[in-house]
Amino acid sequence: MIAFASAIVDPEAYRRFAGPGIARVAEPDSEILAYAAVGTVCRGYNLLLEAAARLSGLEALVLVDPRLELTDAALCATIRTVLADPAVAVVGWAGAAGSRTIAWWDGELRCAPVEVRHDEHGGGRLPAWPWAQRIADPVVVDAVDASLLVLSPWAVATLRFDESLVQGIGHEVDLCSRVRAAGRTVVVAPVRAVHHRALDVVADPELWVQGHRRMADKWDESLHGELTPEQWRRRARRAEAERDAARTLAYSNALQADAHVLELERELAELTSSRSWRATAPLRAAAQAVRRWRGR
Amino acid sequence: MAPRLRRRFPMIAFGCSISKPEVFRRCALAGIDRVAEADSPRLFRPANEPIARSYNALLDQAAGLVDLEALVLVHQDAELVGTGFCAVVRDALRDPSVGLVGCAGAVGVRSIAWWEGSVSLASFVNRYDEYGGGDLESFSWRWQDAPPWARVGEVETLDGFVLVCAPWVVRHVRFDEELSRFDGYDLDFCLQVRLAGRRVVTADFRAVHHRRLEMLPDPENWIEAHIAVADKWEGRSPGLGAEPGDWRDRALRAEAERDLARAIAHTKAIEQRARAAHLERALAEARGSLSWRLTGPLRALTRR
Repeated sequence: MIAFASAIVDPEAYRRFAGPGIARVAEPDSEILAYAAVGTVCRGYNLLLEAAARLSGLEALVLVDPRLELTDAALCATIRTVLADPAVAVVGWAGAAGSRTIAWWDGELRCAPVEVRHDEHGGGRLPAWPWAQRIADPVVVDAVDASLLVLSPWAVATLRFDESLVQGIGHEVDLCSRVRAAGRTVVVAPVRAVHHRALDVVADPELWVQGHRRMADKWDESLHGELTPEQWRRRARRAEAERDAARTLAYSNALQADAHVLELERELAELTSSRSWRATAPLRAAAQAVRRWRGR
Repeated sequence: MAPRLRRRFPMIAFGCSISKPEVFRRCALAGIDRVAEADSPRLFRPANEPIARSYNALLDQAAGLVDLEALVLVHQDAELVGTGFCAVVRDALRDPSVGLVGCAGAVGVRSIAWWEGSVSLASFVNRYDEYGGGDLESFSWRWQDAPPWARVGEVETLDGFVLVCAPWVVRHVRFDEELSRFDGYDLDFCLQVRLAGRRVVTADFRAVHHRRLEMLPDPENWIEAHIAVADKWEGRSPGLGAEPGDWRDRALRAEAERDLARAIAHTKAIEQRARAAHLERALAEARGSLSWRLTGPLRALTRR
């Protein structure tokens, strides 16, 4: 039996997205654990893990973010195929290899055909992680996106989320790191879904920096070994330079993107201020009225 | 007799190191033609890497000029604009403690990313060709729109795209050729001038920087230069290469801030993609509308 679970902060989001998605892809015997969120995401997820661990015949636990809408009717079949390999402990829809921090997306990013639907800028749809390589088959990665975490029975029985993390920031990376440390694997599988979310990658920058530090304190020595003072000096110099480069590149990219948007705005303004556009305004108003009338 | 001679011979020289002659003609030369005086020497040389070597060659050449008032080093893609440039330079250099003058600079600088410091003057336009072209005006391009912190005066570093060197600097200071291919040479030069007891100031002149919007075409070289400048100057210039905490703290904090900057860049990229998609949809809708298609022949006639 494949169980589905959500820690719900925003009931409306669950009603609109996760709930219908789970109903669409779950099997008749699937358990659905919809719990109110308690404390940090780690505490809420641990509550769900405890509940799932008590279920008999569990094949997998699917932790679903309330804003993720599962649309893949074949999800359960995909999960069974991927978890047929007993080494696989965590499955997600996006993930990456090569990053050593909570910014897992800075690694070699792989992504299933998942779409993001956003309300900003007039609303719209974009491919999730637009620059990621799309996958057709399961791929082993180091960490996966937290919005969908499919856990094997071993993971449900053995692992718990680290409640000491700052606001749970990096909980998915921490869990995946422990999975890999235990000799198991983390996989991105080609599952379809729609993520209804804001476009920002990091919601609270200062908190995120604290979370990053906490994770580094926890994992750094096992990743890098014990460093000498000179090694720390070199690493600090490099990081400070990379940070300033990243800030400058961010600024530079924003300038380029602004210029592109400006070009489109100019084009649109030219078009809508043209004499022919203005002359035909009554025609469009009439057409709009007809459409509205038909739509009643 | 002597005062008259001084009035006649002192001159402001202009120097440029050229790797793209067409860009030089269109930008730097056009600007120099606009602001130079009839007797201004023009020192133009093919570029050598690193830029420090090319600029040192220009300094050596200028050092031999008798009655030099200033050497204006201009990037080949920088175009000096406006009137009274030479008067502004003379005015700034009237104070003998001034070694360098520019039109963009900052205080509180800790690395070659001087724009991360407190920028006090940025009187230039970034003119770009991408996306149909355009001008990005820096904050003090127009005084009437400038923020309260915009001012001319002493700074720690200047943007190297236009550097006015006092005669003393031309004779006594040289760019560090070991430091990097390009990045950070301007900050290092300003630090050397300040270490030698001269002041670095901004002045009220303007330039157009004809350049792409991309600010770091070669991030790896830039990172190497950042490290080299920090290693060279930490402890010799207050604040340079310094951050709070021990090296471990600094490393972990900077790694977090680096990843945050990248995450913010990702967010911005996604947001701009969404904004562009929104506008592209609006354009497609407008162009696909019956009224636009019906009036197509009319627009074609107007274009003729």
